Order: sequence, then structure tokens, then C-alpha cells
Amino acid sequence: MSGRFPRAVDDDLATCHLCGKVAPAARGECPRCGVAIHTRKPRSIERTIALMVAASALYMPAMTLPVMTLRELGDVAPTTIPEGMQAFWKSGDYPIAVVIFTASILIPFLKIASLAWVCAAATGRVDPSPRMLAKVYWITESLGRWSMIDIFVVGILVALVQLGAYMSVTPGPGALAFGSVVILTMFAATSFDPRLLWDRIDPHMNSEPTPQPDARES
Amino acid sequence: MPEGGSARCVCCGAKLYRNRPASLARATAFSLTGLVLMAMAHAFPFITMDAAGMRTSLSLSNAAHALIDRGSPLLGIALALFTIIAPLVMACGLIYVCGPLMFGRAAPGATAVTRWISRTQPWNMIEVFLLGVLVSLMKLNRVAEVNFGPGFWAFVVLMISMAAAVASIDRKELWDRLEVARQ
Repeated sequence: MSGRFPRAVDDDLATCHLCGKVAPAARGECPRCGVAIHTRKPRSIERTIALMVAASALYMPAMTLPVMTLRELGDVAPTTIPEGMQAFWKSGDYPIAVVIFTASILIPFLKIASLAWVCAAATGRVDPSPRMLAKVYWITESLGRWSMIDIFVVGILVALVQLGAYMSVTPGPGALAFGSVVILTMFAATSFDPRLLWDRIDPHMNSEPTPQPDARES
Repeated sequence: MPEGGSARCVCCGAKLYRNRPASLARATAFSLTGLVLMAMAHAFPFITMDAAGMRTSLSLSNAAHALIDRGSPLLGIALALFTIIAPLVMACGLIYVCGPLMFGRAAPGATAVTRWISRTQPWNMIEVFLLGVLVSLMKLNRVAEVNFGPGFWAFVVLMISMAAAVASIDRKELWDRLEVARQ
């Protein structure tokens, strides 16, 4: 697959995933930092899809099971993530409701959807512009961590609201499901090899030079 | 290339590489600051809450503790990893690697330590935790009187100083310098 632009993979060179050194792929490990090197991450799409399926299976329980339970004077009130967001909206704290909605509901969903789309593009099932795909991939990778907010909020409330019989908060099963969704999607994003997106370009279709993301020589 | 200078593409002028000034010294200094602030964030409460004649306070480690004690050990461990362990690995790692590199030396095991710095970086969630503190505060404001403690402000400055430590040295530059020092 020799294209119009030189590519490291055509010369059997691999960029280290960790430190970015370019070395012959046949060496098997990076001469600088010692991790295994590959021209493309092995089984990248299979791994990403497996992690993504696990994350999407947990998405529904994460949204419907209570993330925490508030006990107030014998009153037991379990709260789910969407209910927590609604409470902020109703009390007029719109910015916080929007933050919670974005971080806890929208981003995990978008992350699963965009990873599915990016995997479909890398296997040639859909054919969008690679530049746009690279952008989508970058956004999902950088925003995913913010979804942890709700887990931190649960931890903080559980630690603070311990007033004996008057009021207490305990974590619920939804929190574990939600935390797993966030962690699984983070692993899914790192197991995907973005270079696969650029492999789909037919070099002869492009009249403009396309930047080579990994063509750094050491 | 001079310190603080940058290389630009001859065609479009886009920045290709920037030689960051005093990168190793800055990374070490900001990491040392980070360690001191981490100690402060552990020693002082983040938030104190007064309700029904009782006062409870939140510190960094008791959020993780509370989750472990109250039926969510996995989440408690995750919380400790993201807010305590990962920043600690980052700060100690940068000091251990960048300090000796200032004198042109690679510390024993520096390669492994730098690998760990890179690996734990995505799991370093100081800023996410801070936003979580603010959201919790808004939630509690309606039922109790809540106040920020010194630990909260230490954590805010910690976030800034760790961001500065990471920004003062390029990951690739760190690897390049390590490679040169080992030869």
C-alpha cells in the first residue's frame, strides 16, 4: 500500500505509543522507553468494540438505578443521575443542571456513539472525512474524564452528610454502574488507534497534501 | 534553537515546536510546590458543614474512606487513585526524573518512572474533583451552612501548579533529554 505520501508503516517503522520514538517495527520494543511497539495497535478495533459494548450495556443501569440514597428523619429518598439534574433545574440552578447533564448524560452517550462511528469508519463501513473523524476522536478522548464529576459528588456527599439519624447519604448501585461506564469508555478511547482512520485515505483521491500525524523522525 | 524560541513552518507559519524556557527547572519547581500543597490539602478540611447542631468536615482522604466504608469499595479506590495517587505519582515522578536531568544525569530507573508519569496522566482528575466539590456545595447549600476550608484553596492552587508543571515540559522533550543523558 504505497501511497503518494511517505508513511512510516510502508518502511516498517513504528511510532512508540508512549514516547513517540520512531523505530523499526521488527525490533518489537521501543529502544528508548522499552514498551512494545507496533505499526498499528494489535486488535485495536476488536478491543475498542468490546469495551464499548460493555460500557453501553452499563449505560442504562447507570441512568436508572439510584446513585445515592438520602435518608432524612426516617424518610428514604433514592436519587438517580437524571433526577439529580432535574432537582437543580427545578430549583433554578440552570448552569449546574447543564454541567451535570453534559458531564453525566450527554458525554458518556456521545462517547459511546462516536467510538462506534470511528470504528465503523476505520473498518470502511462509513466514509466521512478523516479530518473530521480525527477531531471527533480527539474531543471524545479529552472530554471523557469530566464524566467522573458525579462519582466525586457522591463521594463528597457520602463523606459530609453523616448526621446520624437526622440525615445521611449512602452510595447506590447506579454509582458503580456509572463509574464503570466512564472508566470503560476511557479505556475504549485509548485502545483505539487513530492511525487506522488515516489508513483509509486513498492517496490518489487527494490533491492536497494530507498531514501525516506520525511522521516525526528522531 | 534559543530558549523560549519556536520553530515555525516555512509555508504557513504554524508553530511546529517550542523550546520551552528552563523546562526542567520549572517542572521540578512546580512539582515541589505541588507536593507541599498536597500535604496541605490532606491536613486541612475542604469543606465544613454545619447542620442540626453538628459539624462535619470533608478532607481529601475521607471522601474515599466514606465510599469504602459505606458499601462502595471499588468507587472509593477509584476516587483515591484519581485524586490522591495519580497526582502524587505525577509530582514525585517529575521531581525524580527532572531534578537529576538538570545536571545532565538520568536517575536510576528514570525510564520506568517516566513511563508511569505518561500512563497515570489521563487518570489525574484534580480539576474534575474541584468541580465536583462545587456541585456538592450547591446541593448542600439548601439544607446546611457550608464553608470552604483551607484544604479547598490548597487544592485549587495544586491544580494550577500541576498544570504548570506538566505544561513546562513537553513529553517528547523529556524523553529526548532522558535519552541524551543516558548515553
